[in-house]
Amino acid sequence: MSERLTIWEQARTLGHSRRDFLQFCAWLAAAAGIEASQVGQVVQALETKPRIPVVWFHFQECTCCSESFIRSSHPIVSDIILDKISLDYTETLQAAAGHAAEAALHETMKKYHGEYLMLVEGSVPTGADGAYCCIAGRTALDTVKEAAEGAKAIVAWGSCASNGCIQAASPNPTGATPVHEIITNKPVIKVPGCPPIGEVMAATIVHLLTFDTIPQLDRVGRPMAFYSRRVHDTCYRRPNYDAGLFVESWDDENARKGFCLYKMGCRGPVTYNACGVTKWNGGVSFPIQSGHGCIGCSEENFWDNGPFYNHLTNLPGFSIETTADKIGVAAGVVTAAGLVGHAVLTSIRKRDVINETKK
Amino acid sequence: MANRIVIDPITRIEGHLRIEIEVRDGRVTDAYSSGTMVRGFELILKGRDPRDAWAFTERACGVCTTVHALASVRTVEDALGIQVPANAELIRNLMFCAQYLQDHVVHFYHLHALDWVDIVSALKADPKKTSELAQSLSNWPKSSPGYFSDVQTRIRTFVESGQLGIFANGYWGHSAYKLPAEANLMGVAHYLEALEWQKEIVKVHTIFGGKNPHPNYLVGGVPCSLNINEVNAINAERLAHVGQLFQQAQTFVEQVYLPDLMAIASFYKDWGAIGGGLSNYMTYGDLPTAGYGDPSKFKFPRGVILDRNLNEVLPVDGKDPMQVQEYVAHSWYDYAEGNAVGKHPWDGETKLHYTGPKPPYEQLEVEQKYSWIKTPRWKGHAMEVGPLARVLVAYASGSAEVQELVGGALKQLDVPVAALFSTLGRTAARGLETKLIAGWAHEFYNQLLTNIKTGDTRTANTTMWEPSTWPAEARGVGMTEAPRGALAHWIVIRDRKIDNYQLVVPSTWNASPRDNEGQMSAYESALIGTPVANVEQPVEVLRTIHSFDPCIACAVH
Amino acid sequence: MAEATYERVYVWQAPVRMYHWINACCIFVLVATGLVIGRPPALMSAGEASDSHWFGWVRFLHFSAAFLMSFAFLVRVYWMFAGNQYSRWDAFIPRNWTRLKTQWREMVNVLRIDILQLEKEPIDYVGHNGLAAFSYFGIFLATIFQIITGAALYAPMSTFWLPGLFSWVPPLMGGEAIVRMWHHAFTWIFILFTMIHVYLSIFHDMTEGRGEISSIVNGVRFVERK
Ligand code: HEM
Ligand code: HEM
Ligand code: NFV
Ligand code: SF4
Ligand code: SF4
Ligand code: F3S
Ligand SMILES: [Mg+2]
Repeated sequence: MSERLTIWEQARTLGHSRRDFLQFCAWLAAAAGIEASQVGQVVQALETKPRIPVVWFHFQECTCCSESFIRSSHPIVSDIILDKISLDYTETLQAAAGHAAEAALHETMKKYHGEYLMLVEGSVPTGADGAYCCIAGRTALDTVKEAAEGAKAIVAWGSCASNGCIQAASPNPTGATPVHEIITNKPVIKVPGCPPIGEVMAATIVHLLTFDTIPQLDRVGRPMAFYSRRVHDTCYRRPNYDAGLFVESWDDENARKGFCLYKMGCRGPVTYNACGVTKWNGGVSFPIQSGHGCIGCSEENFWDNGPFYNHLTNLPGFSIETTADKIGVAAGVVTAAGLVGHAVLTSIRKRDVINETKK
Repeated sequence: MANRIVIDPITRIEGHLRIEIEVRDGRVTDAYSSGTMVRGFELILKGRDPRDAWAFTERACGVCTTVHALASVRTVEDALGIQVPANAELIRNLMFCAQYLQDHVVHFYHLHALDWVDIVSALKADPKKTSELAQSLSNWPKSSPGYFSDVQTRIRTFVESGQLGIFANGYWGHSAYKLPAEANLMGVAHYLEALEWQKEIVKVHTIFGGKNPHPNYLVGGVPCSLNINEVNAINAERLAHVGQLFQQAQTFVEQVYLPDLMAIASFYKDWGAIGGGLSNYMTYGDLPTAGYGDPSKFKFPRGVILDRNLNEVLPVDGKDPMQVQEYVAHSWYDYAEGNAVGKHPWDGETKLHYTGPKPPYEQLEVEQKYSWIKTPRWKGHAMEVGPLARVLVAYASGSAEVQELVGGALKQLDVPVAALFSTLGRTAARGLETKLIAGWAHEFYNQLLTNIKTGDTRTANTTMWEPSTWPAEARGVGMTEAPRGALAHWIVIRDRKIDNYQLVVPSTWNASPRDNEGQMSAYESALIGTPVANVEQPVEVLRTIHSFDPCIACAVH
Repeated sequence: MAEATYERVYVWQAPVRMYHWINACCIFVLVATGLVIGRPPALMSAGEASDSHWFGWVRFLHFSAAFLMSFAFLVRVYWMFAGNQYSRWDAFIPRNWTRLKTQWREMVNVLRIDILQLEKEPIDYVGHNGLAAFSYFGIFLATIFQIITGAALYAPMSTFWLPGLFSWVPPLMGGEAIVRMWHHAFTWIFILFTMIHVYLSIFHDMTEGRGEISSIVNGVRFVERK
């Protein structure tokens, strides 16, 4: 183990100055939301730690979380994967294939038992005995259980691994299951989003790397640093919401003025994510800024909370175009008609009783 | 039975692909391609709002993100007879171009290059000579000896740390690697540069679609509004950003990607005779210049080439029930009428039924069903789709621009036209079309500016937005060219809901198992004859497979 | 029909009457503002956000009425243990098997006489009849549901600890989108209840003439002397 270089040693051999290194530590601290007074701790951590072995699994997914990860603009991903961690298994990027790739995985799982970080992209199908997702002839279900055994920490990337995402949407044909429902004896850090913001993914790794602790999580297991606010609460269109200035139809005058997208189905009021603040792709924009409402992609079951262009989710058991209001209005009309009919009937049939009571 | 060699997982691709081959006398004699993961999108889409379908289908794949969204909105628009405003078409084209630029560059450097570039050999390079090599190829400024020396040090430290990370267990030192050490070092440097650059070009998606991966689309147009007098819309600043991103992209493609591609290709000319496979090519065409309704004005023309006959381009019609059909003879699905029939996607069925070996397994039962990928055919023919098909169809359709570019490249490499039908040809075609696209993006961009100048800022057609305006039943098909080839979605809308939705995806065409008549699809066919020097290190197989840029999440969905 | 003599009975104590009207007003406001929140009318399309706050005010009204209703409800719950026999909890929830059977019989009777009008003669109840008791019990539950889901939706926009007590609700129900959908759907229960309830009050007052309507103002009803 002594041949493992610490991050500072690496940085030095790469020709980075001490100053560069300290600056990097300060950045890491900022990215992970750490107080300035604690930067020293970060410096110390990086000075003394070897590159953490990391295995990244792909199950039922679209690889978009990987793609999002490589979009991270602050710790540039090449810095993370070459200098900060040792990404020993990831089907998307690794050079080796087949047996050679599997061998690399098993070597890491053996040599670093209890030390490696396990990152999961994608859900795990439990239907057909796991045959809906096999890698190297083994089911994802087997693999995830085996790898979790020796993992120091588990991160569930994206909505797939955190809550099943699209393949778990009704009728969930393959029994797609999020990681935390399979691995129940270890905490799973959920970084939901479809995909999550690249910088959020990077910062989550940075936190684990630096502090050796799990970041503070909210009630459903998401890092508070990125999921403690609703998109609606950090949305720059919020003043329009409070003022009752809404987009009424696509590309109308109101849309061109950037009014609130609430009536176009925006799920910002029910979605926890950092989009309004961190924004996407180096802070360029986020869905609402580019004119489309939030579809709630970091929320559990958001695919079944459609249709996306209605403010409210359909009532369960009722199809699109049947919102609570339509049912309510129908019930109201029926009730009103019933009451009127009843009143007429009463005034005829009970006329004598009514007259009598008038006496 | 000959000795079966299994490569699973195939890495540096999207998704879960398993290749089983048989090798005799150092060459592949039989090959089976299997997609081993399924999610059931077509089942999940049933009963939903057609206007939401783009968001669902977009999640088929995050690597070619956007293309399914585009196919989907077109499908719904086709069903409902919606024509999108010119600006929406242009913005969709710009997003399309950005997608290709990012996806092709990432494929070349991060998914394909390690088949040709030996990272470890780069340690032996002389940075000074590397610098000379780089400067002889292009004007790219990052080419000093000091720069390459830094890169080399970085790699050395990495290798010497003993933690090889993503490079662990690679086939380094394999006899199939032919590049001189200096070219390897340059390749590694550009691997890292490309990784940084790719996150820039996607900002085009972020600006118009709010995020990448998975930007937002809209049935009837695009969700962003154009308003040069408003901070909340696409204004001069946003447009300038887009313009600059495409400028940078063009520089990167012309000064880094293409020179690297040509330089590497010149060492691997023998691959111009390997991996040809099928001789049929199909494109749906894309990048409309006069609306999606007029394919004759597409930048990428639509058509089919049979038997490598570049003198004839046959028409393609997605609505003809006899043209595109899907088979499940060797796929883990059941059709109500039995498994020998082909089905046009409007009548398509998706019923998952796993009948393969019980995992963990060593070998698939290739005589039976062996993949989650269905097998599409065009008039019964197996088709290759993708960059090579696009370049060939454009070439054969008489595009002067394409003919000149292709001719120039063939001349530079000193190889015949026939060399295009190969692993090398596929990889080269991808680079060449990237160059075309980098140029076309400026045309679309300028057209958008012109429209705005003349006062046309419409981006959405909402006349058919409300489901109450829809007919009780409608069906549509939406076609596009995804980076990996011809992509189409088919929809049947009944009572304002999705009654049937079928995706037939580029990698479905290429990666599918055999059809009911035993005909191979593109991957399997291209592997036949591919040399394998060492069955323990099948880097040659990876070369041919990677030349298709597999995406199995797409293929299966 | 024979002449009957009536006596005044003090049924609805002051807290019940006050609760009733506070609650009725709150529900009126909550339903109206809630529906506006759910589907804001296109009141404004010109103007600057800084000039207006109407939607904010609508929401403010909703939240204010919500708090008032919640506290009034708490008082009413207290009175279910402190009040007279007509306002006690067991006037709504049958306390044992026999009471359940009695209530069931009452409900059938009310249905036969009042709703289906199979018989002419009204039955006399001092407090509310079995069917009314059942519907009030239902509306009390709906009120609790609205308070819980409403507070859960309110929690993230507030630093007040009280709504924060309900932040366990969204994860349980499957996210805030689902909570909202049900909070909105339950609104219709209140609308339907009010329609029927007000109609029946008038109906009873007219057919029975025992001061049904005035009773909820002054607390007194007329009951046939036996
Ligand atoms: C009879 C009782 C109530 C009715 C009928 C009612 C009705 C409604 C309706 C229809 C909505 C709109 C939902 C939507 O479409 O998004 C709403 C929203 C809301 N209600 Fe209520 N509500 C009631 C009680 C409460 C209570 C007790 C609270 C507790 C604090 C509350 C808090 C809220 C909140 C926080 C919202 C979301 C408003 C926003 O985010 O703008 N409601 N309510
Ligand atoms: C003209 C208007 C109204 C009149 C005359 C009226 C009359 C009454 C009367 C007489 C009772 C006693 C019940 C019984 O006979 O068993 C009662 C109870 C009740 N009413 Fe109303 N009501 C009116 C409006 C409303 C409204 C708008 C609501 C709210 C939606 C409402 C909610 C209730 C509730 C919850 C009870 C049970 C109260 C308790 O026992 O604490 N009422 N009402
Ligand atoms: N095959 C495929 Fe795609 C592409 N290009 C989509 O249509 O990759 Ni993910
Ligand atoms: S969470 Fe969304 S983006 Fe990530 S892999 Fe799943 S479908 Fe793709
Ligand atoms: S656009 Fe969406 S998130 Fe922003 S204020 Fe409006 S409803 Fe809230
Ligand atoms: S859709 Fe997703 S990307 Fe952000 S704005 Fe909404 S959480
Ligand atoms: Mg399909």
